[in-house]
Amino acid sequence: MLHKKLRLLLVLALMVTGVFAVQAQDDEDDPDAVTFQSTQFNIVEESEIAREILSAFEGAINFVTTEEGPLIDILIAEGQSGSGSTDLVGALHGTFPSLVRNDLLFDLTELTAELDEMYNIADAFIELGLMGTTDYQYYVPWMQATYVMAANVEALEYLPEGADLNALTWDELAEWGVNMAEADGENRLGLPVAGLFNRFMQGYLFPSFTGGMVTEFRSEAAVEMMEFMRDVLWPVVNQESINYAFMNEPLLSGEVWVAFDHVARLGPAFAAMVDGDTDKEFVAFPAPAGPAGRGFMPVVVGLGIPFTAPNPDGAEELLAYMLSPEVQLQVLSELNFFPVVDGVDFDALPENVALIAAAVSAQSAAEDALPALLPVGLGDRGGEINQIFNNVFSRIVQGGEDIQAVLDSEGENLSNLLSETGAACWPPDAPSEGACEVN
Amino acid sequence: MPYLLVLPTLLYLAIFFAYPMVSALQLAVQADVRYLNLRAEPDVTAERLPGTIAMQTVVDIIDRERGEEELASGRTRPIFWYLVEAQTVDEETVTGWVNQRNIFVESRTESVTGRINDGEPVTEWTTRHIRTMVNDFRFNSALRNTMLMIVIILPIQFVVAIIMALVLQAQPRGSTMFLYIFAIPLGISDLAAGLVWYSLFTQRGFINSFLVQMGILDSPFIFIASGQLGWILLAIVLAEVWRATSIVMVIVVSGLQAIPRDYLESGQVFGATLWQRIRYIVLPLLRPSLQVALILRTILAFQVFAVVIAISGGDVFTVLANETFRWYDRGDGGYNNPNVAAAYAGLIMIISLAISFFYLRAIRSQEETTG
Repeated sequence: MLHKKLRLLLVLALMVTGVFAVQAQDDEDDPDAVTFQSTQFNIVEESEIAREILSAFEGAINFVTTEEGPLIDILIAEGQSGSGSTDLVGALHGTFPSLVRNDLLFDLTELTAELDEMYNIADAFIELGLMGTTDYQYYVPWMQATYVMAANVEALEYLPEGADLNALTWDELAEWGVNMAEADGENRLGLPVAGLFNRFMQGYLFPSFTGGMVTEFRSEAAVEMMEFMRDVLWPVVNQESINYAFMNEPLLSGEVWVAFDHVARLGPAFAAMVDGDTDKEFVAFPAPAGPAGRGFMPVVVGLGIPFTAPNPDGAEELLAYMLSPEVQLQVLSELNFFPVVDGVDFDALPENVALIAAAVSAQSAAEDALPALLPVGLGDRGGEINQIFNNVFSRIVQGGEDIQAVLDSEGENLSNLLSETGAACWPPDAPSEGACEVN
Repeated sequence: MPYLLVLPTLLYLAIFFAYPMVSALQLAVQADVRYLNLRAEPDVTAERLPGTIAMQTVVDIIDRERGEEELASGRTRPIFWYLVEAQTVDEETVTGWVNQRNIFVESRTESVTGRINDGEPVTEWTTRHIRTMVNDFRFNSALRNTMLMIVIILPIQFVVAIIMALVLQAQPRGSTMFLYIFAIPLGISDLAAGLVWYSLFTQRGFINSFLVQMGILDSPFIFIASGQLGWILLAIVLAEVWRATSIVMVIVVSGLQAIPRDYLESGQVFGATLWQRIRYIVLPLLRPSLQVALILRTILAFQVFAVVIAISGGDVFTVLANETFRWYDRGDGGYNNPNVAAAYAGLIMIISLAISFFYLRAIRSQEETTG
């Protein structure tokens, strides 16, 4: 009896692997196909949409989604063996340092210049693609995302008097939180403490108050900032924030009326509103400004071509295709990633995307806008900077430790990390000769 | 000769268990430090010059040579070699060639200085990762919470499991039903269990809705918040008890069934009360099963982390296994440091081994004294 079952299982397993083997064979048949490995869109629904968008490209495309770690390992292994299957790599800016250090990517300077001529790519992002060099374009910017705020329209009546939603300050945000809490006894402000909270600290709080991410880490302004965070803002933040990873969920459930998160994580709430899946109505608006400006963090996804690409010409064509305004528009309207080129027709957007898009452009076009880039040049030690910023919040706000003492000890860690990796300052901090230093 | 039969098992254990585990634990006490030796010629096969250079050393570029490698696709890749003058770790000045891979230059064709950023890894023994672990401000609370959970959860689980097993043993009407109901949590993953209990305790959860509708509360009470470690601990304890008691029950039931009925019947004949029968007949005879269950549960209790993440978010209330994951995680919010993660894993292993050893000793010595 048992044997029969076992044999059946074995046969089934063989059949399943057989089917996969045949499928894999099919994919590799076309020698001109471009194999495109991407760390983005690796959720099944998203990769289906991405395939759909890419299918309009004239050549055959193998769109393969992957994770950061495996992608780096594969490309390093391909580089060592001298032959590979990946033609085009799509990954976050933060993935590229590992590829750069192993010298795996073609210089795309000429291609970038051509594409810039045609579509006018955002200069700041082209510069990011140089990875700190002056004349070696490791990646071409592909798309961008950022973090903004979203609010339930019910919250708008509690907005402090004279406050402009599109030019909010941190103090006004806190006052707004107080007003809402006084109105119905619940804290309606939400922060994704279990989610991408390190980006909130790095790209929004620190730049807005201190004008930098690194150099002013333990300055007086940073102390005032943490006092504001601990004594003014956090008391009006919904205490369940410690569990929030995706702010669309508490927005949709109504626990939270005003929230900060990545556009892709706010998107589902707006989509639900437009699809009629919820009776709540939401608006999107830029993150608040502090004494030093309106800090915000653009997240850039880039495209690079490895030396081992079997079909680099096809990869270049696909790259150019993906930067065309039409495709960029499609990516925005269906996948919530924003264009890096001019000439995208925002009028054609569905309402839910248009709302977020307006907030994103208001944020980056604000007079006091202070773009804060992801750390550059930390290589595979990029995780440690997340730890430092998380610790600052946890130790001061949740652990009740002394602000200056925490900033000093974590500042010491930050300083060591930067000198050990030799990373130069990145915006919003002023450029540095050699390693960036914490003042 | 019969020992040969054990050989395959031993081989299996060595290849798939011992070797990976030892190499993983090595991460905790070893670090790759990179040093570079310059080369005499611009060629990867050229002789290495004496004098090692530390990472991040800034060097002067005296000359450069651009080579090209033909790629399979028909294109070429540039291969740059730089003739540099550099300070070694012994503060001597050496001149030699370095490949593009090992040096960061702002411009491959123009720069006159560069920074050494890669070299040959030299594995060194270090206590750095263990120090990082112990000095992390979350370490103490993680250790304390893990121990606290074991001390609170285990006794509750054993009392509840023994009661459940005795109920089943008595075979009341519908005892099979009971068995099925008790066994439901066995089939549920710990993450799912955590989410179920989180949804009970959340601001819009069942408990709050119930209390508000009954008029006991005016507005929802926020159980899970950063200042309320007690409520978080309670929710985690409840989730863990609900999730993992049945496995203890299953072990106890099988232990109970091995107790001969004669013993209990003779106890009854001599007028022992129910409590006396449990205390003097059932529990002593259950000791081997309880020992197994105790070791199993303690080791599993060290691995609890999905429940903790689901209920507390993992920041405010943390346990050792959660810290292991936090340090290992390569995602956007993780620390991507397998070395410190390995230190945590090693610590968990040492504590589990110590406790298991203690159980085995403690229970054996009792047997010796009673036997």
